[in-house]
Amino acid sequence: MIDTYNILSPDFERDAPRELMLLSIISQSFFQPFSLEDNLLVILTALTSGSGVGFNRAMLFLKQGDRINGEMWLGPRSAEEAGLIWEVLSTPGIGYVEILEHNRALVAKNQDTLSGRLKGLVYAADEESALIPAAAVCRKELLHVRDATHESQVDRRFLNLIGVDEFLCVPLLARDDVVGVIVLDNAITRTPIAPADIKLAGVCGLMAGNYIYSTNLHKKLLEMEKMAAMGEVALFVTHQLRNPIVAVGGFTDQLLKPDLPEDKRKRNLTIIRDEVRRLEDIIYQMGHFLKVSLKEPVYFDPGPVIDAVVNSPDIRSRAVEHGLSVKIDPCPPEILCDPTSFGEVLRNLLDNAFDATSPGGAVAIRGYRRNRTSYILSVRDTGKGISNPDKDQLFRPFFTTKEKGMGLGLPFIKRVMDTAGGKIEVHSRVGKGTIFRLTFNFREREPNP
Amino acid sequence: MKKKILLVEDEKALCLLYEEELSREGYDVVAVHDAEAALAEIGRTAFDLIVTDIRMPGKNGIELITQIMGLRKDVPIIINSAYQSYKEDFMTWAADAYVVKSASLDELKAKIKEMLGA
Repeated sequence: MIDTYNILSPDFERDAPRELMLLSIISQSFFQPFSLEDNLLVILTALTSGSGVGFNRAMLFLKQGDRINGEMWLGPRSAEEAGLIWEVLSTPGIGYVEILEHNRALVAKNQDTLSGRLKGLVYAADEESALIPAAAVCRKELLHVRDATHESQVDRRFLNLIGVDEFLCVPLLARDDVVGVIVLDNAITRTPIAPADIKLAGVCGLMAGNYIYSTNLHKKLLEMEKMAAMGEVALFVTHQLRNPIVAVGGFTDQLLKPDLPEDKRKRNLTIIRDEVRRLEDIIYQMGHFLKVSLKEPVYFDPGPVIDAVVNSPDIRSRAVEHGLSVKIDPCPPEILCDPTSFGEVLRNLLDNAFDATSPGGAVAIRGYRRNRTSYILSVRDTGKGISNPDKDQLFRPFFTTKEKGMGLGLPFIKRVMDTAGGKIEVHSRVGKGTIFRLTFNFREREPNP
Repeated sequence: MKKKILLVEDEKALCLLYEEELSREGYDVVAVHDAEAALAEIGRTAFDLIVTDIRMPGKNGIELITQIMGLRKDVPIIINSAYQSYKEDFMTWAADAYVVKSASLDELKAKIKEMLGA
């Protein structure tokens, strides 16, 4: 027998150890599509909510280059405010999500006052003599400070801001680096910080540090990928534009020569006109690909869109040469995609299929439910097929096997499918043909009343 | 006797332009649109010089040069490409010269003249 459990299930028994609940909440939030800022707030919330460690307030400092900057403040500003906040948070039925939402509002409220003053605190990250709280980053150690007023190692500006004598500095460690520090205190309840809370806060610090580290790394990677893609775009555009420009320039030079016969003069002008049109087309296609922002996917009936594409004059005229068969489920479900992009995807796939197929070949569209969650739309042709090395590059922008192609159709389709949470697969045999299979999420239609 | 040049260029308009301009310079030009046709011509004719593009459908210019080296090591080759960046690529070192395509054909003409010593 095999039992399965949802890895993200947040439901713990009421008597589950609070440490387990806390770590579970933090690790689950890292799976959510939250922003870095929201996830940092989750960490601070976990450290300050009653169901978490239960500190009164949390302050986050992040390391940027060789500086440590105050970033975010979470917690009440006074005992009165604390009373109000805790009254809200202890309302029966309030869950973690509500607490997080509440805290987001609290951070926004504190933005001008405490967070603003916290953001004014900047420390050098690599100084041996760094003052607390920055010292926790340099020393990579948890620092539990008591009687702070008489501690010369504590920065006075920081002390003036938090106004308490006891606090805990938790360095955010990740691999061989430290990405910041969280300062925790019990300014409202004045409860002493217990050793068990220090240990648990340390584990939270490790999780937070690794989360921030990997998020920063991911950001850098995306940036690098973007730069590489930009380089490729620049290279391709250079080539695409240079050829027609050379033709226009070269044939114009010939026109300027006095001995050019009249027939060649006309021919040159025709070539120049055609090449300028080509330049316009390249610029249009580039602009369309680079600028087009995809709309949010919605559930819709694909039947009418498929009909509209298949019956459009250009597709119909090409279908006459090749033959086009369409077999769609008579009552298709509503699939998840932007309808306009879906139409463009189908048009692109049909154009490719017709381009690859000699007259007399066949192109077929099929639409059917694969299982309870996936709807398939496939476009098959009996064309020349795609070789294996080419298959690996199909979705790379500017890769094309066509003489006049830009190589932007399939990358566009891939973007549409990614945005819709679907996928695209290709199966091909050289000399036999190709099938592109799109998988969409779907929901059954509401029965007509 | 006229020097024989093989011109490999997949862009039809450019091919026509180069063919006419080089013929005006007094060369005997054979123009083809892809590498396969170029190899067939090399099998038939003893060319004095080959001018080839790099990016072409089917076999590209680098693959063509590699094959030419196996057939005729002595014939000078000029790469004439729209890609400035390939100029620094070691794959293009097998060629004797590299000219970036330009609306003015002066550099290409000068390079051909230099190579053919005429």
